[in-house]
Amino acid sequence: MEFRPRNYSAELESHALPRVTAAAHPLSASPPSPPLAQVDVVDRGNSDFFDPLRGTDNDANAAAPDHDNLNESSDLQPTKEWTSFRRLLMQRFPVSKMVSVSSMPDVLMRSGKLHEKSSTAMHLEELDDPQKFADEGVKTITWQEYVSRLHELKDEITRSWQAEDRVTSLKLSIKVAKLLMDTSVLEFYPTLFVLVTDTMDMLGNLVWQRIKRKAEFSEDGTLRCSLAENFQARDICADAKETCYNWFSKIGAVQELLPRIYLELAILPCWCFLLDQPLDSLRRLVMMTRGLGDPVASAYCRLYMAHCAQKLPSHDIGYLITCMNDIRVILMQILSANERSHKNVEVNKKLQVSLMEPTIEYIMKCVFNGLTQRQANEVLSELGLMKNQQDLGSVSCVSIILHHLLKELPIEVVSTNVVQILHLIEFSKDNSFGQHLNYRLLGFRLYERKSPVHIVNTVLDKVIQVIGLYDSLDEYLKVVDAYTDLILQNRMNNHLNAILEGISNRALNKRVTEDEILSLQSLILKLLSHFKHLEDVFSLVQFPEILDVMYGKSQDVVFLHILNMVTRNDHISDPTSIQLLFEIAQTLHDNIEFMNVKDDDGQMARSISRFVLMVDYGAEMEQHLAFLVNCRGAFGRFNELKETLVHSGNSLAIQALKCAKKHLSFFKACVTFSEVTIPSVSAHRQFDLFLETAEVAFLGGLVSHSDGLIDSAITCLHTLDIIDGFRTPTDVEGLVSSIRKLCGFLIMVPGTLSLPVTYFPNNLFTLISSRSWFEPKMRTQIFSAIILLLTTQSQKRLPYHANTQTPGNDMLYYGDSSYNQELVSLSKLVLENLLSAVQQEPSQAARGIMALEACNCIASSFMLNSELSPVCLTLIETAKSCLSAQDKYLQSTIQLLNKQCPTL
Amino acid sequence: MSVELKLSRSNRIYRPSEALEGKIVFKTQSSIYHYGIRLTVKGSVNLQVRGGSAGVVESFYGVIKPIPIVNRITEIKSSGKIGLGTSEIPFSLKLRQQDENLERFYETFHGANISIQYLVTVDIPRGYLHKSLSATTEFIVESDKADLPQRPLSPEMVIFYITQDTQRHSLLHELKSGGFRVTGKISTQCSLSGTISGELTVEASAVPIQAIDIQLFRVESILLGEKIVTETSLIQTTQIADGDVCRGLTLPIYVILPRLLTCPTTLAGPFSIEFKVAIVISFQAELSKLHKKSDPKTPRLGMAMETLPLELVRAK
Repeated sequence: MEFRPRNYSAELESHALPRVTAAAHPLSASPPSPPLAQVDVVDRGNSDFFDPLRGTDNDANAAAPDHDNLNESSDLQPTKEWTSFRRLLMQRFPVSKMVSVSSMPDVLMRSGKLHEKSSTAMHLEELDDPQKFADEGVKTITWQEYVSRLHELKDEITRSWQAEDRVTSLKLSIKVAKLLMDTSVLEFYPTLFVLVTDTMDMLGNLVWQRIKRKAEFSEDGTLRCSLAENFQARDICADAKETCYNWFSKIGAVQELLPRIYLELAILPCWCFLLDQPLDSLRRLVMMTRGLGDPVASAYCRLYMAHCAQKLPSHDIGYLITCMNDIRVILMQILSANERSHKNVEVNKKLQVSLMEPTIEYIMKCVFNGLTQRQANEVLSELGLMKNQQDLGSVSCVSIILHHLLKELPIEVVSTNVVQILHLIEFSKDNSFGQHLNYRLLGFRLYERKSPVHIVNTVLDKVIQVIGLYDSLDEYLKVVDAYTDLILQNRMNNHLNAILEGISNRALNKRVTEDEILSLQSLILKLLSHFKHLEDVFSLVQFPEILDVMYGKSQDVVFLHILNMVTRNDHISDPTSIQLLFEIAQTLHDNIEFMNVKDDDGQMARSISRFVLMVDYGAEMEQHLAFLVNCRGAFGRFNELKETLVHSGNSLAIQALKCAKKHLSFFKACVTFSEVTIPSVSAHRQFDLFLETAEVAFLGGLVSHSDGLIDSAITCLHTLDIIDGFRTPTDVEGLVSSIRKLCGFLIMVPGTLSLPVTYFPNNLFTLISSRSWFEPKMRTQIFSAIILLLTTQSQKRLPYHANTQTPGNDMLYYGDSSYNQELVSLSKLVLENLLSAVQQEPSQAARGIMALEACNCIASSFMLNSELSPVCLTLIETAKSCLSAQDKYLQSTIQLLNKQCPTL
Repeated sequence: MSVELKLSRSNRIYRPSEALEGKIVFKTQSSIYHYGIRLTVKGSVNLQVRGGSAGVVESFYGVIKPIPIVNRITEIKSSGKIGLGTSEIPFSLKLRQQDENLERFYETFHGANISIQYLVTVDIPRGYLHKSLSATTEFIVESDKADLPQRPLSPEMVIFYITQDTQRHSLLHELKSGGFRVTGKISTQCSLSGTISGELTVEASAVPIQAIDIQLFRVESILLGEKIVTETSLIQTTQIADGDVCRGLTLPIYVILPRLLTCPTTLAGPFSIEFKVAIVISFQAELSKLHKKSDPKTPRLGMAMETLPLELVRAK
């Protein structure tokens, strides 16, 4: 067997592709397009956000049934907004399992005669004798029972309707509507409202369809006329009108006010059959609602009104404004009422207001839906909020209403009326809603669009003055947080300093609460995002103090943000910054230990690694090394980080090498640092790191050091098979490619007298052969690489050298026949194993490729004499049997063989 | 085998000058022989005395002889056969005969002591061996447009004040001392097809309000010998305020008049039908809870009210 002599430079020249000068860099970007207009989505107060996943188990029972085939007609379907609003409403006020009802409504008592029951239901009824209920003063009914009874009632209404017994349907509907008169369990009211209005809507639909049918078809079923979408009352025949009027009369005869209003609202669209101007009825209903003394009941009644009015073909918003004004009057009365009797009146008041809030929110939304700026201004004066500029002091509003108004006002109106709005906020101070939250909302609203500087100035002057009087850090932060963006956007440094001082004054000597920390976090992140450089942020006088206040999860978030921000672009060379960041990173690291949160580890480790990479002491390399040593001590938890430390150590070594002044001992120190750090890295990463360090050591002329590292690299492969989870295809490919890289490196490594010349290839080969988990494919690739390495080492002139100081084997063993002999004998051994590995591959397609790889390796390594030619032929045969004849690889391999050995 | 009367109008309302139209619907399994099909239209004012201002003797007599308005029998078909299955015989009867203008066609009214009712009955005698068939249905009479009073409905409203001082019955001490003032206006002449309308404002009340109701009363008077027996009874209660409403907010009064239970205010010789409307304010006082079931006409300690006469008219 004889190695094929190679002329590398000639081969390179003959195989190189022709080179052409390119006009532009292929990766250079086209001229940057103008940046897209930034759309700022402002979190308009967290209070109205509801996580849909946070729903309770209850709504499974209470979900609106959509299987109702009676609601087929599309004309009176509830809007999507309404449906989702109802769902949110129920989620916002989840119901506890038990509802105690002070007086059990008859309608909820199972009478039994109206419907058949399953045997279980019968059984249950026997268990709790209704007579017993009646005797007790307070009855308790489970929430599920209540709801299921309501659903039953709804079904009963449908059933009797279908049985042409519409009187029963109406009677039952009245009973259902009466349930809303009971506000004794306030928390239950929203849910009850949703359930009851669902039934009301259904009844409204049924009535609408019945009258429409009467108008369109005569009694014997022939089509009279087809009603257009916007029909007029005169299109309706007398018979249909009579029926319609009858419904209104029947409902008008209901004695109690609340069910009468709800039922008329349910069939409100039916006024269109009688009148061309049904709006008068709506206005009357608004007024009638004033008769409901209970604030919560009346607010929800208005809510239902807003919903029902949308079913009318056209409606103005005047009635909504009256509603809103009435709600305001009611709220003012609640809030001003002095504690008359109970201690828990205050608590009750709070609950009442919070129950009323969704109704205010919805009605406000309806008011401002699609309004122009001029119309919105008119609404403001209709609400009595914009009198004249001189008389501002006397105008005030209930703060919770103001809040929702402010939320819905078009932003242009907010900007143009900002002085008035500030006044309104100032003079609307009551218990219904935190005044500071309105200041906060104004801040967010103003930031929605770029506002003129003078407006921002006016507002900020006022707000800073107002919050200056706040004692509570929480309120202070809530307001300040909303204005931070505005302050930063307009570069109002005096304000920025003022608020930071305000915060630090209030945070001093006090335990900062969780809520406050969250606001603080949001504020600090805004600051950090605004400033490009950490130095700028830290130059703010109070910033470090405020940063010290942070703790827990928010501290992590802020610190992580700082780390990411600083390491995003530039190297960090300022020693104080490095020290600060080091401390920050250390806190993060220690917090992890404390909290033991697994998910964030990766993110944190990456950020700290990035920080370590970006640290640059410049010429102060000793300090840099000391820093790396410190890091190793400080961040023991992160494996990934140790890898970074090794890379940094190595790159520091190379830097030292380039720098003429540095002594070799520093270089050695760096390499040693890397060397001792590697064993603590997880095993499957060690090989690469050893190899990298060996290359560095070799480059610096530390040949024996390098030999030791190569040895360690090969040895660490021993331990690999023990580790599980290292069998993914990418890992395997990575390892093979690393081993091939080692083979490429070994070309340069000179032999030593104490060791045999084939010491490393031999070790590698022995190791691979002895480990059973190296699959045939891996073996084929690695063995081919070893053969190619041996072939290269046999050449008279090596293709590359490290540098002139370290001579290669081509110099050391020039013309030494025993050297060549050794290479040949190892080659033979490897070749045998290579051939057997090819045959071991179970997969046919893979075997074909492997045969070709082996064949190529042989053909380019050896002279094809009588000994090897048959081997190659066999491999080609194997490949032919496995692959199609058209396979490109197969064809090019055959070509190569023909070229190398024309006799074949 | 059944017979049914179907009127041409689903609301069954007819005016005296109009014809009562409809059809007689037979459903039978076999053909039947009959001795003629007759329709009877009968209208009368039925009077009875019980309770009220009537004495013991009068109430003992009870029912007084009704006042007939119309009683006419018309033969629709002479004797013959009705085929099997469903068959319909249309009819049309003039209510008011030209020559017969003796009685006024009062509007239909169902009261406590007075009831004005119009019935149409079909009779089909089938000889002695078979039971004769018959069916009756009520129809409603409303005044002819031509007979309506020419003067327009007065749009004026009566202004009322209800305070602790306007009450003629005794009040709870706390009501008397705390004081209250409810003002408003209400129409006292209403069209039957319209509503009792008006508005009301609770200006002040020291004691929380429990409810405000509009009560509609009928006042039925019957001439009995030399005496007039009058009874006032509640027709309908309509709540316009539920709970302690906001002071100063104006509440609408809106009451749809119930059909059949109301008619135009009638002052006939032997009887009269009048109406009253009352605004009743109940306060959240301890006592009022105890007397929940008592007579609505007698004022209670925790209540204030204002009663006004109400003239109902049939407007054009």
